[in-house]
Amino acid sequence: MYFTKQKISTLVPEQNAHHFLIIIISLLAGSAVIAVMKSVKHIITPDSVVGILALMAAIFMTILFYTLFIAIYKLRKLLFSANRLDTLLKNLPGIVYRCTNRENWPMEYVSEGCYELCGYHSQDLVQQRVLWGKFTHPDEVERLKNTIDDAANNGNPFEIEYRIVTALGEERWVWERGRVVDSVNGKDIYLEGFITDITDRKKAETAALESEAYAKAVVDTAIEGVITIDNSGSIETINFAAQEMFGYIPDEIKGKNLTILVAENYHQQVNDYINNNSINAELNTGDAGCEVVARGKDGFSFPVHLTARKMEHHSGEKIVGIIRDLSMQRAVEKELREQRELLAHTARLNTLGEMATGIAHEINQPLTAISMYSQSCLRFLRGVNPNYNRLKDALEKLSIQSHRAGAVLERVQNLSKQHDSLREEVNCSDLVTEVYKLAEVEAHMRHITIALEISADVPMVFCDPIQIQQVLLNLLRNGMEAMCNAKCLNGNQIILCVEGNSDAVRISVIDSGNGVTESVSEKLFQPFSSTKDTGMGLGLSISRAIINAHGGELKYFNNDKNGATFYFALPIST
Amino acid sequence: MDTFDQKVFIVDDDEAVRDSMSMLLESAGLHNQCYSSATEFLNSYDNSQHGCLILDIRMPGLSGLELQEQLKQRKALLPIIFITGHGDVPMAVEAMRQGALDFMRKPINEDDLLQRTRCALSYEAGLRDKIQDRENVLDKIALLTAREKQVFDRVATGKANKEIAFDLGISERTVEVHRSQVMKKLEVRALAELVRIKIETEIPIR
Repeated sequence: MYFTKQKISTLVPEQNAHHFLIIIISLLAGSAVIAVMKSVKHIITPDSVVGILALMAAIFMTILFYTLFIAIYKLRKLLFSANRLDTLLKNLPGIVYRCTNRENWPMEYVSEGCYELCGYHSQDLVQQRVLWGKFTHPDEVERLKNTIDDAANNGNPFEIEYRIVTALGEERWVWERGRVVDSVNGKDIYLEGFITDITDRKKAETAALESEAYAKAVVDTAIEGVITIDNSGSIETINFAAQEMFGYIPDEIKGKNLTILVAENYHQQVNDYINNNSINAELNTGDAGCEVVARGKDGFSFPVHLTARKMEHHSGEKIVGIIRDLSMQRAVEKELREQRELLAHTARLNTLGEMATGIAHEINQPLTAISMYSQSCLRFLRGVNPNYNRLKDALEKLSIQSHRAGAVLERVQNLSKQHDSLREEVNCSDLVTEVYKLAEVEAHMRHITIALEISADVPMVFCDPIQIQQVLLNLLRNGMEAMCNAKCLNGNQIILCVEGNSDAVRISVIDSGNGVTESVSEKLFQPFSSTKDTGMGLGLSISRAIINAHGGELKYFNNDKNGATFYFALPIST
Repeated sequence: MDTFDQKVFIVDDDEAVRDSMSMLLESAGLHNQCYSSATEFLNSYDNSQHGCLILDIRMPGLSGLELQEQLKQRKALLPIIFITGHGDVPMAVEAMRQGALDFMRKPINEDDLLQRTRCALSYEAGLRDKIQDRENVLDKIALLTAREKQVFDRVATGKANKEIAFDLGISERTVEVHRSQVMKKLEVRALAELVRIKIETEIPIR
């Protein structure tokens, strides 16, 4: 036994109170010895040598007791400590070990958690019935060996994650940190370390990786552009679709502000939308996003739909934006609109054809008058005293008649031209009056009067005036036809009624025919089904299509008294 | 033939056509009066007014053809010129069948209109003359005695005096006396004229 400074200090109890107690007891013990010896007086002689011997024996006993007590104290502490260490080791989520760095790493010591970790008892490992290397996963053994050997050569600790196969055949992931330890006998190399089960963490990691891979795949294969930006609007990521859409490669665009992708006059709108509270909303509230115009690298603009969401991120808030290119959709909408107008135009031409007689008559009247007025003028000019007053009269009237003819032609032209079918603000009263003029002649010929009931303060509507006129003309002519079929027995007035409120304007055509019978009502709006001998049967189906395109519905009902009412609503111009 | 009391009546529901026609006739020196509907015209016309009628065939309310019918019932003598539009040909045919004088299609040629109007007016005047003549003759016939009338009828149908004497049971000489009386009263000189009168008074005036 050799004492180093360190070792002496370890012998002395750390706590001063305990130490003091031991000293006192030792002294008392020593004193007790002296007292005993004093009582046995005959041994103590006045001879001072014996007395000194007795004293030395007493001192020796004191020191002996002292050492004894210290030893007992220390032993107790050691036992207690060992106990605590044991408990600690048992409660570790893993094992502490000590093994030799030979093949398969035979264990010398393994702490209690062993069974839980690998399904083998510590005794089995320590007694080397089972070897660690044997139940390390075959694919991992080499890597483990290399890692450990490297560490051994460098004198550094090693850290490694690898798989083991438990006694039950389960694959588990473990994390190990260990170090090479000097051996006592100088022959073998020992390893000491800590191994813990990280299967759960590994599973979570894998799941996270898979989730990330999935998200990445989704983003990469999406047709829509997906862009993430940080709080200040700097672009962080841009998926393939967005790269294609805008014509940038990621490096060109990262770090730039989102507005570089937006057409100038839409910057404000995009910023507002992104800063708006709406993108905080729960996913189910159906945030409608916004429609703006984007700008590609080549400066070319195209319409897009943008939705954005805030995203929690460890380094602050991020925003994800989904961008849908609307160019195709717009093109299709345009095509549809044009097709619809083409059809409506054809129907209008057909209607005009049917109305030709009436129109010809309407133009003939002013023409007749014009020619008679001009002849009159010529006659007034004859003779010695031309009648200038009458001449003036005639010319004025002639002029009016030519305007009248012109107006008829203009109305016909409006109806017959094919136009862009764009919506505009329209005054209902004017619109209805125009239709009235168009239908007037036919009404006249059928001995029917058209009554206009336009309520005051009807707001302006937003519509395609020519198409709406077409619908009204169609309804009027149908109504008049119905009344003629009933031989006007129920009256000869057809009413064109316009009413408005804060949301919409309702226009109705009320006739006094015989109403719509059930058998007719089934096919009423079907194309190519007509109750007329010479009808193409498209009027109502096209009218309905036109009203639908305006966001309304063409409906009808049979009146209480007689005849039917056809009506629809148009949106107010905002 | 007096024409200065003749008036052209214009009935058309279109104001411009009415007015311009009126002005044209006026410029040609023809008196005229306008009506906006058949009913309005009927309410103000009595058969005493002379002239002719320019009538739009297609009108709301009482139509041109209906007006024609009404005038016939009233036994009015006013000749009618119908104005028709395109496609009114069947109506025009019917109108002619019912006794219209003429019809014109729109757009109207002014010279044509004036000419036909004048034609109608002179026709009407001629008609009136004929009527007047017949009145006169009928008045004269009314002055014949019964016996004279019998003789007149037989003579005008070409019977010989002998036959007539036998028919009536009187002498031939008596027949001759009656015959000369008839010719004196009817103010004719030849047998042929007698025959003409007979025929004319039995045919309706056209």
